[in-house]
Amino acid sequence: MDKGVEFQAYVRGCLDSLHNYAVLLARPPEDAQDLLQDALIRAFRGFDSFDRTLSFKAWMFGIVRNTYIDRHRRRRARPAEAPLEEEQMAAALDSPLYAIPLAPEDILLRQETVEQVREAIRRLPTLMREVVELRDIEGLSYLEIAAVLNRPIGTVMSRLYRGRNLLRTYLVEPRRQDGEAGRVAHEL
Amino acid sequence: MNCDRAKSQIFPYVDAELSREARHEMEEHLAGCVACRRLVEQELMFRDRYAGRLRPDPAPPHVRESVDRLLGGLVGTPERRRPRWPVWVGGAVAAVLLLGLGAAVGIGLQRMVYRSDMLAELTEASVEQHQKLASGQLPPDLTEGSPHSAEVWLRQRLDFNVTLPELKSANLTLLGARISHLGSVPAAALEYRLDHRNVSLFVIPDEAYKRLGLREKPKFKMLNHRGYDVIIWRQHGTGYALVSEIGTRSCLVCHSPDEKLDASFESVPHRRAAPPRRIDS
Repeated sequence: MDKGVEFQAYVRGCLDSLHNYAVLLARPPEDAQDLLQDALIRAFRGFDSFDRTLSFKAWMFGIVRNTYIDRHRRRRARPAEAPLEEEQMAAALDSPLYAIPLAPEDILLRQETVEQVREAIRRLPTLMREVVELRDIEGLSYLEIAAVLNRPIGTVMSRLYRGRNLLRTYLVEPRRQDGEAGRVAHEL
Repeated sequence: MNCDRAKSQIFPYVDAELSREARHEMEEHLAGCVACRRLVEQELMFRDRYAGRLRPDPAPPHVRESVDRLLGGLVGTPERRRPRWPVWVGGAVAAVLLLGLGAAVGIGLQRMVYRSDMLAELTEASVEQHQKLASGQLPPDLTEGSPHSAEVWLRQRLDFNVTLPELKSANLTLLGARISHLGSVPAAALEYRLDHRNVSLFVIPDEAYKRLGLREKPKFKMLNHRGYDVIIWRQHGTGYALVSEIGTRSCLVCHSPDEKLDASFESVPHRRAAPPRRIDS
């Protein structure tokens, strides 16, 4: 199959996912379209090196993320866009696990809708939301997520663990203010 | 294993991310611990009700258009020619054609949408079934024997032709077989292990395959859904769907490593089936 046609078919097969991921990363979110376009150009240039036995979507997520990092580095001088809070959160999240998972019993009893769960995921801090979305919405394996994030698999598991627990906290107490929820994230 | 350790392993366990040994250890604990088993059951229920039904938001039309333009430019697709006639002429002609062919087009579109929905539904159902097979939520009915004995067992239980490939690769193992359903379609579900990854093969009746409305050529249709690669094809009056995370390498379920594969793949974009349906067997 022609390289261009093959690339087009792959991209169209996962465009929703790629756009979602770009929206998640982009700051401001309106930059998502530019970020996605830059990533696609970069991916097409490197498409020959894509291992066809692996997941194209996971490969593309890595490129979207690297493109985001490069764009961010170029703009680093602008303080409004420096994700200091995120970096501090990352340091806190990479500590060893000690909490136990919240039982989802209360959530099951509440009969939430899938859209309410989706909305709760959107409220997660970005680093946790990223891992939860890559796993629970996009279906990537832990190893694939580790490759996308360029982080050890233990970090992926830790963020996923905390992200899912925080998500449940949101679902049990959906009216909790964002600020309070942030405090819970640190306590976890 | 104690309960604290087991609780810390619940997520990787239900995500099917534990090693064989760790999984075995976890299952031993669960067999004797009602409290932890209940947590796992609740987790699976939570997943079934919510997490397993989450889908990415559709990209907005303006993003799709800009990506289309970009892709067209990247692969050198010539831009669409500007019409030689004023737009209103085209509009008038289209209106006349629509009036004349309204009924036929309507029926045709309805059929196209129906077929497209069928394909989306089959793809989504096969990916979900694959996840459940791989995570142990759907245990195989048959766990021992060769592809031939599985074929005999399935033929006794299904009223369509089930033909299974022989194992042609050293690193390919048949883990089990079960009767299943992809949406409303009865299917034979086979789970393989290839290169340390799980691959599911679903065999469906010919009439169900035909309802997908797929063209005869190229033979293999490839879709990507939720990070899984789904290859669909028809052979000797039977439909097949192969689900994995390893792309065309999963073809080793049917072909030997040194066999030249039929390169006639067609990538088909996945569109979401509407409305979402529960596809448990």
